[in-house]
Amino acid sequence: MATLIISLEKITKSYYIKEEEFPVLKGINFDIKKGEFVALMGPSGSGKSTLLNIIGALDKPTGGNYHIQSKLVSDLSSDELADIRNRYIGFIFQNFNLIPTISALENVALPSFYAGALDYDRAKELLTMVGLADRLNNRPNELSGGQRQRVSIARSLINSPEFILADEPTGNLDSKTGKEIMDLILSLKKKYGKTILMVTHDPHLAQITDRIIYLKDGKITDKKSI
Amino acid sequence: MTSNFLLKLLGLSWKSLQANAFRSFLTTLGIMIGTTTIIIVVALGEGAKRDIEAQYSNMSVTTILVNAPATGGEASKLSVDDIPPVKTIATVADAVPMLTGKVNVSTNDATTNFSVVGTYPEFMRVANLTLVGGEFFNQEDEDNHTKVAVLGATVAEELYGIRDPKVIGEMVTLGKKEFEIIGVADYKGGAFGPVTIDESVFTPYSSSYRYVLGKNGKFSFNVNATSVEVLPATMDDLTQVLRESHNIGPGGTEDFRLRDMGATVASAQSSSQTMALLLGSVGFIVLLVGGIGIMNIMYVTVSERTKEIGIRKAIGAKDVYILTQFLFEAFILTLVGFFVGAVIAVGIYYLLLSFDLKIIFVWWSIPLSFIITFTVGMFFGYAPAKKAASLDPIDALRYE
Repeated sequence: MATLIISLEKITKSYYIKEEEFPVLKGINFDIKKGEFVALMGPSGSGKSTLLNIIGALDKPTGGNYHIQSKLVSDLSSDELADIRNRYIGFIFQNFNLIPTISALENVALPSFYAGALDYDRAKELLTMVGLADRLNNRPNELSGGQRQRVSIARSLINSPEFILADEPTGNLDSKTGKEIMDLILSLKKKYGKTILMVTHDPHLAQITDRIIYLKDGKITDKKSI
Repeated sequence: MTSNFLLKLLGLSWKSLQANAFRSFLTTLGIMIGTTTIIIVVALGEGAKRDIEAQYSNMSVTTILVNAPATGGEASKLSVDDIPPVKTIATVADAVPMLTGKVNVSTNDATTNFSVVGTYPEFMRVANLTLVGGEFFNQEDEDNHTKVAVLGATVAEELYGIRDPKVIGEMVTLGKKEFEIIGVADYKGGAFGPVTIDESVFTPYSSSYRYVLGKNGKFSFNVNATSVEVLPATMDDLTQVLRESHNIGPGGTEDFRLRDMGATVASAQSSSQTMALLLGSVGFIVLLVGGIGIMNIMYVTVSERTKEIGIRKAIGAKDVYILTQFLFEAFILTLVGFFVGAVIAVGIYYLLLSFDLKIIFVWWSIPLSFIITFTVGMFFGYAPAKKAASLDPIDALRYE
C-alpha cells in the first residue's frame, strides 16, 4: 500500500461569535496517498477555504487529527506550523502571491532561505524547468500572469515538499495560459511523482485529476448532490 | 538563527529600505539631527568648562578676593593699610594688594591703553607669573617708589611688536611718568582677581599710587588661606579684622566685600554644566521625536507590506524572522542616521572652530550619542516590528 501523505480524521472547525458556535467543518475524513493528484471541489460557503487553510497548516482545526505522513500537525505551535509550511507544503495560489520588490529568482529561493539553506542554484534549475531561464532577474510586475504562475510553481518545489497545495491555480489566467499551467502541474505528478491537492471550480480541470473530493456544508459528499 | 542567516535577513531589510530610499532618508532625519545635537552640545559644554577653568586657572581655591562693594565703594576705607593687620591672621598665607586703573601706555613709537597694576613683589609668586626676560621688582623698589615696570605679554607685543627681553631697559610712559622696563612676562592667559594678566603693566604698589593712579586707582587685595579647610574661618577672621580697623560697630554696614574664589569657580562650573545639561536634553528630545518618527513610518510600512508579510509567513517565515527583519530595518535607519549625524557634527565642529568658538570635541560624545540613538531606535522600532510578526498569515494573505 502506498504511503499516506495527507490524513484527515474527524476534522472539525467552528468559529465563535459572542460565544455562539458556528460550525464550518463538521467532521472531515479523507486520505491522500503519495503520488496522487486530487481535486477538491465545492461551492462557496462549503468550508472549502477553511479546509484549505487547515491542510495548508495556516490554521488549526477545532477538533480531529491531521497528519502529514506520520507527523501530527493539528497540535503544533505557530512556529512549528511555519516549519511545516516551509518544508512539507508547496503553495500555488490563485493570485500568485509573489513578493513584488524582489526578482523571480529571489522569490523562488525565498523558502530555502527560511529553511536555513538558501539555494540559488536549485532556484535557477527550477525556473529553467518551468521555462523561465531567461527571466531570472525580472521582478513579478515585469512578467505576464502565466509567467508569474510559473515562478510560483517553481517556488512551491524549492524545498522538495511532501505535497503541493494548488488553490485555483488557473483562476486568474485566460484559458490558453490556464491550460499551459495545468499541463505544467500535471507534469509535476507524471514526471516527478509529486502529490498534489488542487482546489478548483472548474469541472473540466477536475476531470484530469485522479480523484475528486466534494465538499458541501462542511462535509464530504458524493458528486451527485453538488 | 545562524549569523549567516542573520546577515541575509539584514540584507533583506537593507533592500526594503533602499526600495523607499527617500522615505527612509526622511525617517532617519530626526535621528541624524538628534545625534548631531548631542555631539555638538557635549563639545560646546566641554569648551565652556575649559574656558571657565582657564579664566580661573590663576586662582587657587584658597583665594579670597577683598574689594570695595559695587555701591558706596567710593567711601570704602579699604586700603593698603589693611594688609598688615590681615597678615596677622594665623591662617592667612599671603595678602597681596592690587591698585588698578586704565592709563595711556606709550613709547616713542606707540600709544595704547592698558591697565596698570600696582602690587607687592609677592604677586609674582602668588599669581604664578613667569618672565621671558628680566626680573620682577623687589621690596627695595617698593620701599623706594622706584619707577620700574614689568610688561604683560600682550602689552609688550602691542608696544614693540615683539615679546622679547630686548625691550628691557627701554622707557615706557605710564600716564605722565616714565618707567623703566625691568621685565617682560610670558603668556599666562586668564585673570587674577580684577587683573587680566597679559594685558597689564605691573609696578610696585607705592610707585603706582604715587606717580600713576593715586586715588583714581581701584584698590583690592588677594588673600590666600593656608588651606581649603580653614577658608570659612579665615573669612570670618578677615571680616572681624577689617571691621575693627575700619571702626565699623555692631550693625554697621561693611565697606568691603569678600569673595571666596573657590565658590565662584564652583558656581561658574555648575552653571556651565546646567547649560550643557539643558542643551543635552534638547538633543535627547530631538532624538525622542526622531524615534517616534521611525515608529510612525514603520507602522505605515508594516500595513503597506501586510500582504508581503503574509506571503513570507505562508512560505515558512517564523514570527521571529519577521520580527528580526523589521527590527533590522529600525536598526539600519538608526545606524545610518547616527553615522550621518556624527559626520555632520564633525563638520559643524570644524566650522565653529573656524569661527574661534570655544568648542572642544569629546570622544565619549560618540559612544554616548550612539547608545542613546540605538536605544531610542530599537525602543520605537520594536512595536511596529512586533505587530508585523504577529500578523495572522491568513488575514495578511487576504489583504489587498
